[in-house]
Amino acid sequence: MSGHDDVDLGRVWVGVAAQVWRRRPGPAERLAGRLLRSAGLARALVTTPSLLLGWVIATVVVLAAGVLATRGTGTPYVALCAPAVAAAGIAYAYGPGIDPAWELSCSMAVSDRLVLLVRALAVFGLNALLGLGASVASGTATAVTFGWLVPMTAVCALALAAATLARSANAGVAAGVAGWVITVLSGRVAAGRMTAAITEAALVVPYLTIAACCAAVALFATRITREAS
Amino acid sequence: MNVEITDLTRRLGRTQAVAGVTLTAGPGVVGLLGPNGAGKTSLLRMLATVLPPSSGRIRLLGLDPGDHRERRRIRRRLGYLPQHLGYYPGFTVVEFVEYFALLKEMPAAAVPRAVAAAVERVGLGGQARAKLRTLSGGMLRRVGIAQAIVNEPDLILLDEPTAGLDPEQRVAFRALLRDLGGTGTVVVSTHLVEDVGAACTDVALLRQGKLVFRGTPGELTARGEGTDAAGDAPLERGYSAVLASAAQAGTDPAQARP
Amino acid sequence: MDDDALIAAMAGGDDTALRVLFSRHAPWLAARLRAVLPAADVEDVLQETFLGAWRGAGSYRREGAGGWLWGIARRQAALWLRRRGRPETVLATVEEQVEELPDPIDAALSRVELAGAVETLGPEGSPQRETWRLMYEEDRTVAEVAELMGVPAGTVKSRAHQIRRLLRAALQGGGAQ
Repeated sequence: MSGHDDVDLGRVWVGVAAQVWRRRPGPAERLAGRLLRSAGLARALVTTPSLLLGWVIATVVVLAAGVLATRGTGTPYVALCAPAVAAAGIAYAYGPGIDPAWELSCSMAVSDRLVLLVRALAVFGLNALLGLGASVASGTATAVTFGWLVPMTAVCALALAAATLARSANAGVAAGVAGWVITVLSGRVAAGRMTAAITEAALVVPYLTIAACCAAVALFATRITREAS
Repeated sequence: MNVEITDLTRRLGRTQAVAGVTLTAGPGVVGLLGPNGAGKTSLLRMLATVLPPSSGRIRLLGLDPGDHRERRRIRRRLGYLPQHLGYYPGFTVVEFVEYFALLKEMPAAAVPRAVAAAVERVGLGGQARAKLRTLSGGMLRRVGIAQAIVNEPDLILLDEPTAGLDPEQRVAFRALLRDLGGTGTVVVSTHLVEDVGAACTDVALLRQGKLVFRGTPGELTARGEGTDAAGDAPLERGYSAVLASAAQAGTDPAQARP
Repeated sequence: MDDDALIAAMAGGDDTALRVLFSRHAPWLAARLRAVLPAADVEDVLQETFLGAWRGAGSYRREGAGGWLWGIARRQAALWLRRRGRPETVLATVEEQVEELPDPIDAALSRVELAGAVETLGPEGSPQRETWRLMYEEDRTVAEVAELMGVPAGTVKSRAHQIRRLLRAALQGGGAQ
């Protein structure tokens, strides 16, 4: 744009556009920015696919159905479903399978591993909260109400490991859900109850061990030595 | 010197995608030429710190990308446009550029102005708040260029930036390149030889992972004179001539830059 | 698209309309402001002017884009100068009653405005400009002007009428040239 000799109209326009086009972060993002001490990390967190409103609503609907089913039949569907739902959410938190700008994200100052960690923790936390709410609302025994949190940790870690190893969110979901289904059915075969996988105290240590191993695998899978594609 | 690489190698399975490349680059625009599979993308990925080398030494902006603290500092001053850049369909142009400006840890107060400047610079001022899913391929490529330059980087790496741009846009892009190469180093990987001639101060030619030519576009043109190498333009003939003699000899020794 | 349509679009949130409005009007606004302010200040005032236009597009009442924009620019310029604490204004507010003394900034801007509007009457020496000069700058009567210019009094009156109309249009309507 031309203008009067010493007045830089291009610069003026950029100043105007900067204010007109700017995006003002919402309260959640501002809070996250202060807690995480990084505006970029906060923005990455609030744009997590599995934290978007649609996904959260879907999760609530599934859990609500579980509550109703539990109250109706006595089988604690919430406790049985919550881990699988959470695993799906974790798998879709991030990763080359679903992030179209994956390679570019790997070149960012805010490390992609940190983004993955923050997103996975947020998704896990949200699912735990929603699950707990649904679980309490379905009025089952205490062991069942809270017992699924430990298996959920293991299943989520499994989903994360699979997703980052295979570079595919779908692989993560498949691994998480399949792993959980197998566990529940094995528990039923072994102890005669569907809830065995949730309430057996002896399983706590194995679950946590699996969670730790899978977390290590995910860490390994996200190192930068691998060929990007 | 913004880029200093010594004997850089990157293995890919059994083959070497990049085989012992030695190269330095200061301020200016370096054109990276070569046929498909020559190792251009792997080399750019190593410069972008998304891929570590299998062996060799690399220093970017005077820092060592092997150290995670220094790598972070490099990345703040880096701009990278990968060959295949996906986009987030629901984002607008401004949101997309802003997202990566934040991830490059630009100070939040400086971001709106920097984003506006970058969007205007690539000629997308009229589409600033349009959703990415409504844009053409050429416009998306320009969005990619905008995110690469938003933090006014000292090292800009562009992998096939003119893919999908029409001739008029390519001319505008070359003008932008000349502008950028003033203070920092721009490395442009392209298979379009004419882009190189018009905008680059320096050319590096890769073949099968090896550096077979390093010099100015004029020097490359000179290599084609007096031969019957293929090509419609002098620069293309120089390009073909160098590749042909490299194929015959195995490799030409890389021409070191003084 | 004409200016009124652009501003209506701006009120609806269309930033591309603002962009077009800027490219049309920023050059002459910059030129006018430059007569009163240094270049760096002009850039800041111009930026605030268009941001003000963007925010206030909803209250535009089709009074003529040029005049509307210039009104915003004047207010922004006055604000800017007051904020910067320019000596003339500080002196004025301290020594005199603010209400009685006309704002020197507004006066300066009015002079510029008027000078610009007079330009639209025609080149110097043309009948309209001469009539203006004699009647309003030298404050002569219609009879005197008629004699000096060698035309009937009726012609002078109709020219004066035309001058008023042209100036009104220039001060209210578009501001280009």
